[in-house]
Amino acid sequence: MVQYNFKKITVVPTGKDFIDIILSRTQRQTPTVVHKGYAISRIRQFYMRKVKYTQQNFHDKLSTIIEEFPRLDDIHPFYGDLLHVLYNKDHYKLALGQINTARNLIGKIAKDYVKLLKYGDSLYRCKSLKVAALGRMCTVIKRVGPSLAYLEQIRQHMARLPSIDPNTRTILICGYPNVGKSSFINKITRADVDVQPYAFTTKSLFVGHTDYKYLRYQVIDTPGILDRPFEDRNIIEMCSITALAHLRASVLFFLDISGSCGYSVAQQAALFHSIKSLFMNKPLIIVCNKTDLQALEGISEDDMKLVMEMKAEAMKTLIGQGGEPTNDEGVLLTMSTLTEEGVIAVKNAACERLLDQRVELKMKSKKLNDCLNRFHVAMPKPRDQKERPPCIPEAVLEAKAKKAEQAAEKQKKLERDLENENGGAGVYSASLRKHYILANDEWKEDIMPEILDGHNVYDFVDPDILQRLEELEREEGMHQEHEADDFEMDGAELTPEEQEALAEIRKKKRLIVQQHRIKKSTAESRPTVPRKFDKDKQFTSERMGRQLSTLGLDPTLAINRARSKSRGRKRERSIDKGNQNGTDDMDVDGDQPNKKLRLRSRSLSRSRSRSKSRPPYEVLPGEGLKDSAQKKKAIKLAEKSHNKRNKDARKGEADRVIPTLRPKHLFSGKRSTGKTDRR
Amino acid sequence: MRLEKCWFCSSTVYPGHGIQFVRNDAKIFRFCRSKCHKNFKMKRNPRKVKWTKAYRRVHGKDMTQDATFEFERKRNRPERYDRHVAEETLKAIKKIDKVRVDREARHHEKRMKGKKAQVQKEAAKELEQSIHMVKAPAVLQKEPSLTLPKVYQKQTEDRMVE
Repeated sequence: MVQYNFKKITVVPTGKDFIDIILSRTQRQTPTVVHKGYAISRIRQFYMRKVKYTQQNFHDKLSTIIEEFPRLDDIHPFYGDLLHVLYNKDHYKLALGQINTARNLIGKIAKDYVKLLKYGDSLYRCKSLKVAALGRMCTVIKRVGPSLAYLEQIRQHMARLPSIDPNTRTILICGYPNVGKSSFINKITRADVDVQPYAFTTKSLFVGHTDYKYLRYQVIDTPGILDRPFEDRNIIEMCSITALAHLRASVLFFLDISGSCGYSVAQQAALFHSIKSLFMNKPLIIVCNKTDLQALEGISEDDMKLVMEMKAEAMKTLIGQGGEPTNDEGVLLTMSTLTEEGVIAVKNAACERLLDQRVELKMKSKKLNDCLNRFHVAMPKPRDQKERPPCIPEAVLEAKAKKAEQAAEKQKKLERDLENENGGAGVYSASLRKHYILANDEWKEDIMPEILDGHNVYDFVDPDILQRLEELEREEGMHQEHEADDFEMDGAELTPEEQEALAEIRKKKRLIVQQHRIKKSTAESRPTVPRKFDKDKQFTSERMGRQLSTLGLDPTLAINRARSKSRGRKRERSIDKGNQNGTDDMDVDGDQPNKKLRLRSRSLSRSRSRSKSRPPYEVLPGEGLKDSAQKKKAIKLAEKSHNKRNKDARKGEADRVIPTLRPKHLFSGKRSTGKTDRR
Repeated sequence: MRLEKCWFCSSTVYPGHGIQFVRNDAKIFRFCRSKCHKNFKMKRNPRKVKWTKAYRRVHGKDMTQDATFEFERKRNRPERYDRHVAEETLKAIKKIDKVRVDREARHHEKRMKGKKAQVQKEAAKELEQSIHMVKAPAVLQKEPSLTLPKVYQKQTEDRMVE
């Protein structure tokens, strides 16, 4: 069911507005900057784009207008006629045609000017061409301006038309003006139509909706019709005529018996007869309204006769439909909208008649045959009085009975019940193993370990694991036998003393390597002190003696030699003093005038010096000391009294020298912030 | 619950230990401790890192192929529980372990077979070459045995008294 809704048509702008819109859009949406220094192709492109863009926009907008306005030939004839009645078909078509031509013209203009622009040789020429193109397009639209205005007006009016569905159940109300049609529609639907004492209060069609037997009915209120020849009718009357002509509805012809509408019954009857051709094939009901003013029985003879004539006509339509001719109550009805008496009856009658007609029509149509079998169950005609109930086998009956009694006596125990019995959701945890299918039901509660000795047990599970294990053990047995044959030959072993020697060798090697590593790592930070100034007393003759003796040699010779070679200054001097007067038995050469020669001779004579070195604590006769202990003490005191100069290249007390006590850079200068109390 | 193998060092990862890393291609790397994890992040190849099982296998230090390894295979299809099978499996695991340990020991022995002789030879050579460090050549000439010399004891006491 297509909804005839003309509200969705876009607004049609006036000519001037149209031009403004399009031109401003062109200005905004296309690039705006071009200089005469650009490449000519770029300039051409720029202006071509503008022309094309404008044309495109015009085209689009005009196309929407043309497409959105309904084509009078394509819509339901009711609407076609209605629109014709309201707006004049020809004018309408003409307007749309003009719009179409305008569109084509603009297209042509654009094409021509684009062709010209392709050969524009300067910015000024291209610009002029563009201006000309746009100007012409705008002129076209200006000329079409009145059509646009007309279409806009039509659009506004169309939007306000009532949305009547021409295919659904409709009830049409017609009659002279002021007979009470709008009051009736106000009564039965939610529509709120103007009701006024003057004629032609209702100037157009109005729609209301009402329900009957769970179905929705459209109720259409028409403007009053006067009894005039067809050609003389005005637009308003033509609306109702159109409705009558095209809508398949049940018609309620309203009759004002009292004549308070200003027209007599005779006039109304005349109208009825003039338009009765329109009532063809439509369920017709004659409604006598305003019975509160004048009852139907109370009218004059002539009027009664006229009314009966009308009723006869109405009956004809009834018979023509194939309905029961006996029921004539649904043809002529009386009511009063003021007192609301008989209103519902009228509505019901109208709806009923319409429904019957529609159903009958549907029955006759071909489509219904398809669904007819769904409504109808074919029953074979019984040939005799014998009862033939359906045959159910015994077993099934028994099973059903048993099930029924089982269900009656005990309901299936659910897990939920079990849970509730055993303490509820948090307390009871369902045994998931209950329904396990195992070879032996005793195994259901078995817990199988998953991990054993750092292995996953599931990885080992195998039905023929025993067999494989047996093979493995057999293999293992074989291997072990073979292994027993293998025997390792023991090579020549070292004796314990040799082993001792080897251990000693290795120890020594290790020590050497260790010491070398230490020396290497500290080489940069260690002062290189000559051996004669060794602080740690590493290179003593005693040590040398010890080492030599562990090697198995006699060290005395070596020690003596070493001792004789090493002569301290003191000993030298003391020896010299002793030689001042005469020569010692050790001195070979006596007086030497030259210091150098003396020194030289001393070094020469060194080799022939003492054959035996004396330990320092040995008391020499003539020294004036009692015994070696005293001598030792004396030597100690002597050493302590003076500061022995350390010759191992370390900084001593004397080296703590401050070259400048108050350097200028530390004791001068101002601070940026703060006091200079501290320096 | 499963015991997994560490991707780096191939030791077993017990539940509650280690870290699992899932890469963008959905490959899962399991690590037993942060040491392995950090090594992995440094992109070290376990086949080149001495203390891993992978290294040991590649360089022939440990047994690679053996029938005992075939018993332990990850099965993806669950088997229906059978008490007897479970019992047998548990017993079999222990036996298989024993066999495997024995075989590994044998492998190790085979590997170390010639070691003793070689060590002895080296020791003898070293002794011969470096005996001069503990025994003076003069003493060695007198006593040609490769043993420590007698430490020379000085008889100087009487001299001193003099």
